[in-house]
This record gives sequence, C-alpha cells and structure tokens, in this order.
Amino acid sequence: MLSVTGLSKSFPGARALDGVDLAVRPAEVHALVGENGAGKSTLIKVLTGVYRPDEGEIVLEGRPVRFATPLEAQRAGISTIYQEVNLVPLMSVARNLFLGREPRGRLGLIDFRRMHQAADEALRALGLRVDVRRPLRSLGVGAQQMVALARAVAADARVVVMDEPTSSLEPREVRTLFEVIRTLKERGIAVIYVSHRLDELYEICDTVTVLRDGRRVHTGSLAELDRLRLVSLMLGREMGEVRGKGRAEFTGAHRTSGEPVLEAIDLTVRHSLRGVSLRLRPGEVVGLGGLLGSGRSETARAVAGALPADSGRVLVAGVPVRTGSTPAAIRAGISLLPEDRKAEGIVPGLSVRENIALAALPGLSRFGLVDDARIDRVVDTFVKRLRIKASSPHQRVGELSGGNQQKVLLARWLAMRPRVLLLDEPTRGIDVGAKAEVRGLIDELADEGLGVLLISSDMEELIGGSDRVVVLRDGAVVAELTGAEVTEERLLRAIAAQEGGGPDD
Amino acid sequence: MKSSAVRRTTTRAVLAAAVAAALALTGCARTEDDAAGDPSASASGDTGQVVATPGAGSGETCTVERFGGTRTDLATATVGFSQSEKEANPFRIAETASIRAEARSRGVELLTANAQSQFSKQISDVQDLIAKGADLLVIAPLNSDGWGPVLRAAAARKIPIVTVDRKINATPCEDYVSFIGSDFIEQGRRAADRMIEATGGKGEVAILLGAAGNNVTTERTKGFKDRIEAEAPGLRVVFEQTGEFVREKGQQVTEQLIQSNPDITGIYAENDEMGLGAVNALKGAGRKPGAVKIVTVDGTRNAVQGIVDGWISGVIESNPRFGPIAFDTLDAFTKGEEVAQDIVIQDSAYTDVNAKSGLGRAY
Amino acid sequence: MTEPAAPRRVPWDRARTPAFLQGYGVYAGVAVLLLANVLLTPHFLSAENFRTQAVQVAPVLVVALGMALAIGAEGVDLSVGSVMALSTSLLSLYLGYGPWIALIAAVVGGAAVGLANGSLIAFVGVQPIVATLALMVAGRGLALVLLPQLRDVRDPGMAALGSQDLLGVPHPVLIAAVLALAVGFTVRRTTFGRQLLAIGDSRPAARLAGLPVRRVLIVVYICSGVLAAIAGVLATARLQASDPTSLGTLMELSAITAVVVGGTPLSGGRIRIGGTVAGAVLIQLLTATLIKHDLPPSWTQIAQAVVIVLAVHAARERGKR
Repeated sequence: MLSVTGLSKSFPGARALDGVDLAVRPAEVHALVGENGAGKSTLIKVLTGVYRPDEGEIVLEGRPVRFATPLEAQRAGISTIYQEVNLVPLMSVARNLFLGREPRGRLGLIDFRRMHQAADEALRALGLRVDVRRPLRSLGVGAQQMVALARAVAADARVVVMDEPTSSLEPREVRTLFEVIRTLKERGIAVIYVSHRLDELYEICDTVTVLRDGRRVHTGSLAELDRLRLVSLMLGREMGEVRGKGRAEFTGAHRTSGEPVLEAIDLTVRHSLRGVSLRLRPGEVVGLGGLLGSGRSETARAVAGALPADSGRVLVAGVPVRTGSTPAAIRAGISLLPEDRKAEGIVPGLSVRENIALAALPGLSRFGLVDDARIDRVVDTFVKRLRIKASSPHQRVGELSGGNQQKVLLARWLAMRPRVLLLDEPTRGIDVGAKAEVRGLIDELADEGLGVLLISSDMEELIGGSDRVVVLRDGAVVAELTGAEVTEERLLRAIAAQEGGGPDD
Repeated sequence: MKSSAVRRTTTRAVLAAAVAAALALTGCARTEDDAAGDPSASASGDTGQVVATPGAGSGETCTVERFGGTRTDLATATVGFSQSEKEANPFRIAETASIRAEARSRGVELLTANAQSQFSKQISDVQDLIAKGADLLVIAPLNSDGWGPVLRAAAARKIPIVTVDRKINATPCEDYVSFIGSDFIEQGRRAADRMIEATGGKGEVAILLGAAGNNVTTERTKGFKDRIEAEAPGLRVVFEQTGEFVREKGQQVTEQLIQSNPDITGIYAENDEMGLGAVNALKGAGRKPGAVKIVTVDGTRNAVQGIVDGWISGVIESNPRFGPIAFDTLDAFTKGEEVAQDIVIQDSAYTDVNAKSGLGRAY
Repeated sequence: MTEPAAPRRVPWDRARTPAFLQGYGVYAGVAVLLLANVLLTPHFLSAENFRTQAVQVAPVLVVALGMALAIGAEGVDLSVGSVMALSTSLLSLYLGYGPWIALIAAVVGGAAVGLANGSLIAFVGVQPIVATLALMVAGRGLALVLLPQLRDVRDPGMAALGSQDLLGVPHPVLIAAVLALAVGFTVRRTTFGRQLLAIGDSRPAARLAGLPVRRVLIVVYICSGVLAAIAGVLATARLQASDPTSLGTLMELSAITAVVVGGTPLSGGRIRIGGTVAGAVLIQLLTATLIKHDLPPSWTQIAQAVVIVLAVHAARERGKR
C-alpha cells in the first residue's frame, strides 16, 4: 500500500532521518515507535507533506509520489490525526467533517441537507451518535477525536496516520477508538500508529517499526517481539552488552542519611500522573526511569509547582508545600531545571549575569534597587565554581553553548541555596566534554547534601548517576530499584513489564 | 470554549465597573464653575435664523397638494426631531435647544432622538419616531445617502420631512419637503471679505483646514480662496495645513507656522475651535492681540469673546438655530402655502463693532 | 574540544549592520532631520523654535515611556489615548478643589484604568491587545459621560504649568525629562525593571524562575496608565481647556511608533528609553518639517509610514529562538 525507501532528511545541525525504510500493507496496523529524537515525527511529516525529503522515495499504491503540501497528501489518500484535535471548534460537526470539500448544490452553494445527512451516516458508522449541527466544541475531547477520525476516513483515505491519538482520551474513549481502528482494518485501510504506551501497541498493532537516532533499527511482527526486546531496541541497549559496564563519570554512590528532604505523596494530574509518590534524602541522587510520555517530566513539574496537581501533597523536610505554585516551591527550596532549556529555562536576551541573578534578585536588592556589587560577587563565584565559559558576564545567554547555558541555569538555582534539585534531561543537546562536567557537578552537589532527582533518556547516565531509580509507566510508579538492582537490565525489565497491579481503577 | 465565556463576563464586568465609576466620580465632583457659582449658565440670547432666499420666488417650491398630503394644523400635530451627532459641541447643543424651544413656545408636542453619530441608529430613530405617531419630521441627517427605506415609510404615511444643516440625496417635494441650511461656500466668501477688510488686502495668510474629506472643509476653503483671488490680488495664501476642526491641532499647527513664517498677516480658521487654538499659540509666543488677523467660522461664544478681547478679527456665523425657520416652514406648508425646496439661511457675522452686543447671541 | 564562546559567529557578524541600524538609526535620523532643517527651513535655528518642538513632543514622550514598559513586557497598551481623555475630564471635574486635588484625581483615574488592564491580562489571561482595546473604548466613553463637551480651564496653576518655565525650560519639557530619567532608572536599576525584562523576553522561563509575573504585569500597566494620565494633564494645561472628545485620539499609534522607531523590539525583553525619546523627537521633527514647508497633510502620514516600515525592517527578529 505505502512503502518508503531510503528516506533521508536533514535539518541544520542534525540529521533527522537517515535512509529509513517503511512498508505498510493494506489492512495492517503498523506501530511506529522510538524515543525522543528518533525521527518519528519527521517521518510522519514527510509522509503527510509537511516536509520534503532530501533523499528517498515514497510509493503509494504502486505509484511514486511526492507531496508539496499536506493538502496534496490528503488528496492522494493519506490522512493524519494529531495529538491535539486540529479542527474548527466553532463550526458545526458536519462542516468540520466536510471542510474544504462540502457537497455543493446549484449555484455552488453548500448543500446543507446533503451534508448533514452524509455527516450523520459517517459518524454512525464509527458508532458515534451526535447532532451534527452542533458546534464541534460542544463535544467532549474523545468525540472530537472521533470526528477528526471520521473526517480522515471520509476523505477516502487509504492510509491513516495517528500520532499519539490516545494521549488526551479517557479509557472508555480509547476503547471506542480501538473499535474504529478495527473497522478501518476490515475496510482494508492501513493505519500507522504512533504511541508510547506499550499496552496499547500490543493490543492493536500487527507490525512494528522501531526508529532510533534517525535510523530504522527493526521491523517485524509485533507479536513475535517481546516487550523487553522492544524496549531495549527503542533505548538502544542490547541485553548482552549492558552488564558489567563501568560507571563513566558518576560515582553514583553518596553518603545518604537521615530524614527525606523531599516527599511527594500521591501526586495525580489528569491525563498524566496517577498517584506518584517518591522520597528523596539529602545527598541522594534518585533517577526517574521510564519511556517517553511515562510521566517523568510531569512528576518533576508537579513537584516544582509548575504543573497544578489535582491531588497529592509535597513535603520538604516534613513541611507541606503548597502545590501548583512555583514561588511557593522555590521558597521551600525546590529548584527545577526544565527539560526545554531554551524555551523555559534561560531568558535568551538577558546577559549571563542577569540570568544567574534572576531568581535571587529580591534577595540581592535593597529597597527594590539592585545591588550590583553583591550580584557581581555572586555571579563571579558561580562562574568560577561552575566553570561557565562566556566572553564576559554581560554576554547574552542566547549566544552561549548548550552546556554553558545549562551551567548558568544551575548557577541561578544554586544562588538560591536550594535543598532539592530536579534535573530534567540536564545533559541533552550538550557536547561530550560539557556532559562530563555537568555530571561531575551533579555528583558534587549531592555530596554537599542536596537531594537530586535526575531524569535522563540516556540509560548510562541514569544508571551511572543514580543511587536509586524509580520507574514510571503511564503516569504511575511501577518499580523502584535500589542498591545492586540499579542496572540497565533491571531497568529495562521494569519498563517493559506487563501491566501488573491494576491502575485502571 | 471557556475563554469566550470568560471574555463575555469580562466585558460585562468592565462595563459595570465603568458605570459604577461614572456614578462615583461625578458624585463628589466639583468643577471650577461649581466653585465660582457658575456665572455663565447658558444665557438665552436665542435669536433665530433669517432666511437668505425669500420663501417663494427664486428656487423650486413645494406645496402640500403637490406633496400629496393633507392640510393640518401644526399646533395640534406631533413633530419628531432626529439629531445626528451627540450633543458634545456647541453647534449641536444649540441646534437641539433651538428646536425644543420653538416647539415649546408654539405648544407643539415634540419627540426627539439622538443617533450618537451612528447612521444605523439614526435610521431606526426615525422609524421609531414614525411609529410613535410623529405627524411631521425634522431631521438633521448624519449622511446624505442611505435614506431610501425610511423615506418610503414616511412617504407611505404622507409625513412631511424637513432636513436641517445637511441635505439628503432624494427628490424634494416627493421624498421630503425642504432643506434648510447654510451655504458653506458663501461662508468662505464672507470670511475672505472679513480677512480682506482686516488686513487691508495685503500680506500673507494661512488657512487652518478642517478635517480632510469633509464637504464643509472643501466648500469653506473654495469660497475663501476664490474670493481672495478675485478681490485681493495683494493677499496670498501661503500655508494650508489641517487642524482637523480641533483646538489642540489648531494650536500645534499655528505654533509651527509662526516659527517658520513669523511675518504671517492673517489666519483663516475653518472653525472656531481651531481659531481659538491659534489664539493660544499666538499668546504662548508672546504676540500682541491683533498682530495677526484671525477670521473664523461658526460663531460660538468663546470665539465672539475672542473678538471682544481683541484676538480675533471676525467670526462668520454658521447659525445652528433652525427652530424658528423649521417650524415656520412646516406651518406654512401644512396650511397649504408654497414653501421653497432649498431654504438657505442668512448667517450673520461678528466683528469688533457688534461683538460685545452680540455675545449674548453667540452659542 | 573546548566550547567556543560564541558558537554562531558567522550569522552574528552578518547581523551586525541591521543591529547597528536598530540601535542607532533613530539618532542618525534625528541628526539628518536637524541638519536638513537648519539648511532648508527659515528661522529654524532659534531658541523659540526648539522650545516649541520640545513642548509639543512632551505629552507624546510621556505616553511613549509607559508604552515602552508595556511593549518591553511583550504587551501593548492601546488605552493610553482614552486615559488622556479620562484624565482631562477628571481634571476639569475636580478643579474646583484646586489643581493638586484635580491632578491626583486624574492620576488615580489613569491608575485605575491601568489596574483594569493589568488584571485582565495577568489574571483573566486576555491578550494585551484585546484587554487594552476594551479599556480604550470604555475609557473614552467614560470620559465623555463625565464631561460631554469641551470646557475651558481657567485655573492659574494649570496656566502656569502649561506656559511658564523653570530656568528657561518649559514645565512640560522638564516633567517629561524627569519622567524619562525615572523610567530609565527603573528599567536599569530596580528589581522590578529586571523582572519586567525577563518576563518580556521569556514568560515561561520567568514563571519557572519563580518571578511574580502577575504582579509585575499589573504594575507595568498601572505605570502606563499613570503616565498617560500625566500626559493628559500636560496637554490640558497647554490647551487651557479640557476636550475629552478629541484629546489623545490616535495617541496610541504615535506612542507605539516612537517606541518602535526607538529600537525597542515588539517581541519584548528589551527597552530603550533613550531610543524612545529620540523616536518621539524624530516623529515630531518630521511632522514639523512637513508643516513648516506647507506640504500636503497626507505627506505627513506617508512619511510616518515610511519611518515605521524602516524601523520595523531594522528591528526584524534575527533568528531569535
């Protein structure tokens, strides 16, 4: 039905796809999996006409095709359903279904009667009963997703691409979606299904293609691939090679002692966290393991007050902290280095100096006036201690390298004398030398008695750096590895394990 | 989704807050006039207009028979008046007041409406007035066009309409009876005469234009320039900049003018407000009253006071007091007499001779 | 392999020329206009003339200072013109208590509008352009309800404010200069100023850094409202009349123009007070030049448009983020 051979696509500074092959047969649900940066979204965007490939060819139903725009791809029979519903909320359900290809009557006017009838039939076929004249926004998210799906199918699609379609759906809605996918299969339509939820993949998909670092690393029947093997393919760790690997830069062993400095109890956030609890003792580095979308970043953000929790408590040294408030968390001594350093961490237009002093500013001022001498002392101290390389403290942070930007952020928080550091992918996008430096710093800080929560997609870093690893899956804690259990093998097994305890309560 | 609901409540909250604020703020306000015991509570030297063209004779005329209505007695009729702009400037205030006063003195029942400068509102205002039982209509139109539906509704009930200060594009004596208004070109000519007289016909004059794209501006400019060209070859128009009919702009432009043309002889301001701005500018530059001759158009009290104080050389009146002529016209028409289709009113003028005595007449 | 200090050296170099234009083009523009006027305009080189230009630009500049704060916080304040009208209405309404009380009433009115703007933006999450547009309409309406028509101001204190001077500097100019220095100091030297720039540059980062984002935004719009109210008082004092129907119309455009021409990027995170002053002066000189040479008024608008296009072109974002 659809086959892709030797597809490559480069962006300035990165090769997103490198000679990728993909073949999808009719009536097949094909899982496309991979961790961050594996090239999934680039591949989807090439298939749907958003990007043009540098090399390689796409063959649809035996004919080579090339799409310049998403509309062309859609006309050719490739429809896409995105994570977020991208329809027009104020228009009626029927108009959304037929947007751009409304049935016309005489005079070229829209034939509403015919449109409403057709819309009603299309939705009934998917088991959805709604008044198609109502505006789309009056429907629930799941029903809206169904309308998007109906639209994709009604457009005479031969291939439907679904990019994490379940991420904002309730379990009941997921069931409906799966039934629809089965209907599509019966009609001979091919489905490319992208998701991080292993349970879903095994339930609905027939075949799987695993991407890693822009290359295809595996294609085959999903049923013949056990979970552990799938996870190790995604993470790029072969079971044999993981054992006995030395700890590169980290010491990984800290003198941990005393009462927990941070306790998170039953943190719950709709659609992302289900009762996550964890404890952090002073001087301890706790790793947070799991696949993309398992709730690692969300856990850190909920603890830091950046993501309002629906329920659950956070305690720092036994004292409760108001959840959902960043200033409250910061005052309690919780510091978060966010995953998206460029958008949420640094203030790119301000200087190194201003960025370091940003959070501590009220403490470095007198009567609202900035005390430049004190700021200079603090900035000096941290620039030296963290070995930040900038032409001067007045250089704009946006011009620094990733590693130095990360160090500036660390300095910003250390200037606040925090008790807990939440590090979300602290070494992503940093060159090798700087990575080692940042890892060394993390060790040092833990040795000084900070509680550190480490999130990393880099297995080696996570295993090497953590005293303990808490494993998350679908927003819930599924395992905790301590002491000698902290190995890559154990971690992979924990991530890949079948759904054990019933979180679906 | 939720945001639009939020926005709606927000808008409502803002409105409510604004109303509350208005009440609270005016509650304990105390203006200079309050403090001084309000010396100038709109004295009523209300003199009506004089018709420039005689009632019948020169132009086309109209009678009730030709219009298709029936003779009635004005004293027992109900008159509807639709004002175009909000009563924020002296002209509109005086216009409405004049209509009201005339209706009261004649004992005629008057219905009024104000369109607040929105044409759609004026159309519905007029429809309301008809629905409320107005037998005759006086309209100060905001626009000249777009009156078709309303005029048809009025014609169907044979309601005579008189328009004041602006004309509407329709057939007189069929869609409406008469138009009563000033001749803006003539106002410009008379201002030119005043300017020639004040300057002795020699020197350089500047024009403070009104808002661009407005027939009042173009006509007052045309009348002035044509007359200067014809009558006073020694007088040259050297400067034309818009003051947008606003005092502040008139002041700013004049400040620039007297910097670059310190020897300017006269300034023609196309309304009183800009003229008063020019006076402010001259005062600020330390000029003596009368050093630069200023001629303005409108006839507001402030401008006439400016003549008394010696700053302004002449004010050409654009008389807003349409009450007497409008009611005379309606009276004559309903009695069956002939009335002119275009009634151009005779605007008076204020000079140093009559300013003091005319101060009570100014609006 | 050590990390280079400035990794993107090549594109940075190429960006130098527009960066220079963005930073200093406005001063060059002012210099060119001054020179051209000295050569071409009769009676230009007189103290009286410079005084006139300075007095006329003062209210615009005061409004532009507040606008610069709003734009620096990645917002905009469209309600400034209406605040001027409200300010002049309140001034006239309370002048019976004496000029100081009236001044306080006007400033409180401006602060109230600013508080409403800031609350809508910070708490309700309305876009600045929408929130301030709402207050622009409401403010002008309120001003006209309070004072339906032009009213003369005869208070001697107001007359002195409008027409007298201190050590040869007219009062409005002096006040505008003091305010410019104060705002410049606030931006550079206070916690509030630094936080404002960080919020304008990257709001998510500022929020995660625990900055009081809402409080700063509200204070920004209150400042803008108060400055616009002061500008309204200055304009009233000069006119010797309160005219809420026309005072401040299109002032928001003049102020935004001055700020943008002065090199403050619309994307926030940077405020150039010196540039804003120069931007206001540039527009004033441009208008004055065209009026003095009696060019058609439509030319003024075209010339302003050209200046804005040039400024925006120079200020175009260069691969930021």
